[in-house]
Amino acid sequence: MKRFGNKQSGVLSSSDLKTVYGKTLYWTSFALLAFAAVVAIVPTIWTILTAFKDTQEIYEAFSFFPKDMSWEKMVSRVSESWKNLQLGDSFINTIVLSLGNLAVRIVVCGFGGYVLSKLKPTGTKLIFTLVVWTMMMPSQIRMVPNYIGYLHFPFAFDWGMGVNLLDTFWPMWLGSGADTFAVLLFKNAFDALSNSYVEAAKIDGCTDYGVFFKIMLPLTTPVIIYESIGVLSAAWSDFFTPLLVLDKNVVTPLVIYRLASDPEVQMNTYFMALVFASIPPFIIFAIFQKRILGGINIGGVKG
Amino acid sequence: MTKKPTIKPKKLITRRNNLNGWILMLPMVVILYLFIWRPSVMGTVWSFFNMKAYTVLDFCGIDNYRKVLTHTQFLPTLWNTVQYVLWSFVIGFLPPLFVAIMLNEILHFKGGFRVLIYTPAVIPGIAAMLMWYYMYYPDQTGLLNMILGKLGAETQQWLNNPDFAIIGITIYSSWKGLAGTMLLYYASLQSVSVELYEASIIDGAGPLKRLWHITRPAMEGIILLNVVRQIIGVFQIMEQPLAMTSGGPNGASTSLSYQLYQYGFNSGGQGTGQAMALGVIIFLILIVFTIFYFWLNRKVEDRY
Repeated sequence: MKRFGNKQSGVLSSSDLKTVYGKTLYWTSFALLAFAAVVAIVPTIWTILTAFKDTQEIYEAFSFFPKDMSWEKMVSRVSESWKNLQLGDSFINTIVLSLGNLAVRIVVCGFGGYVLSKLKPTGTKLIFTLVVWTMMMPSQIRMVPNYIGYLHFPFAFDWGMGVNLLDTFWPMWLGSGADTFAVLLFKNAFDALSNSYVEAAKIDGCTDYGVFFKIMLPLTTPVIIYESIGVLSAAWSDFFTPLLVLDKNVVTPLVIYRLASDPEVQMNTYFMALVFASIPPFIIFAIFQKRILGGINIGGVKG
Repeated sequence: MTKKPTIKPKKLITRRNNLNGWILMLPMVVILYLFIWRPSVMGTVWSFFNMKAYTVLDFCGIDNYRKVLTHTQFLPTLWNTVQYVLWSFVIGFLPPLFVAIMLNEILHFKGGFRVLIYTPAVIPGIAAMLMWYYMYYPDQTGLLNMILGKLGAETQQWLNNPDFAIIGITIYSSWKGLAGTMLLYYASLQSVSVELYEASIIDGAGPLKRLWHITRPAMEGIILLNVVRQIIGVFQIMEQPLAMTSGGPNGASTSLSYQLYQYGFNSGGQGTGQAMALGVIIFLILIVFTIFYFWLNRKVEDRY
């Protein structure tokens, strides 16, 4: 066990790991982590395996592994389910929804955080206080009024002039900008940047907009990536606002929700739908794995 | 207000800054106004009004509140919600903490463990909820009953059992949320100073003593913040009962927020006013915890 000798001191140190007691603690931890990993992964494995079973098998064999795990069989299950489920349109819609959400989030919250941090016009204090206080406000209080707002946007009352936002992506798109947490993340990121950047650029004749796009925004890449991961994955799981606003077949989370109570969809096909719906977030995870697991170190939001 | 002495060029810059600042900030202010500030205020105002579906009729005093609070299901639902919070601590509090601490000490297969333990957090929430709905399926097609069947035990009703529904949902939520909380703890473990550990080794403290006297004090702040955040978060639970149990069986897993959803969107327009009254009630309960959270947050930040 060469590794033990070089261990950085923590709860366990390299000297502990020479003793039986220390070794026992270490391998007990290892076993517990292995157990945690198994618990974390088994439901997912079961779902994938069940997706590859035949309908008959599910209701008769009650086994964890499918009988036939040949390559041809798996390919045929995937293509057959994809044909049956008709998820293609909802996938495209969800991608469109998520990209719109991201654009609005970055522009609205990015600008907001920038102004609160750097330009500080009159009234900044008031706006900032409001932003902080609404950060932790439970959303229940505004659930119904928000819905009423969608019916004749942007008016709170039906004065015959508003636009009905139902059956459009606008409630989610615009709502994506109403994220006070993101505003504060951006503000903190801009706070950490020296004002001399701004001044230097302005002396060189840069406008406020130029400063923002050419200098400030690129320097907050970690926050942008953090928000991108969050917003892009969330579109594949958020189903509450879409449930109120959209028709049942439009976005993938809604389709998943609807198919669960569809008697015509067999369990194996449904599980394949769960697998399909999980693929896009896993792609995002695979791309940004290092950043996500590295513990994105921008969590400190000062109130 | 006192008059500020102004110098001309400075004033000019300030005025331009003001205009540009407000133009850049306008989208945020408008969206926050339309999606958070106005609906919060209107929700409170309209909770005192009769509603016909989504149209405001006339002032009715505390009628909506009386209807919500005197409903026979109100107290059971409130108790259910408290049970969600309690169970979320019994089941979900220690695992992320211990996993983070152990992961920080382990040298073998560390990266692999991290990826595997993180997978539940990657699966989209709605897909994971329905996955667990099938894990809990009351016949042997469900994974849990399949295992029981293999062991020769009797199959269980799981989510159809009123005594288990809340626990079952909480097990799911803890499974789904473990990795997120774990990463939070893991990040704060990185800031515990190695010198402290080394000094304690020289002083002859064993591993468990070090865990208690060095790791614990360093983590206390973030743990406490997380506890309050968990109370606030779980108290608002809604999507899980909506997707997994529809609040059943017989209302046994109905939470306050799910009840609000029922009032607001599933009552044929009869309960809109009550939904907003219930929203205000939830707000009043949670504001206590929220203020405590902010106070705590400031205190914890001052310490570091």
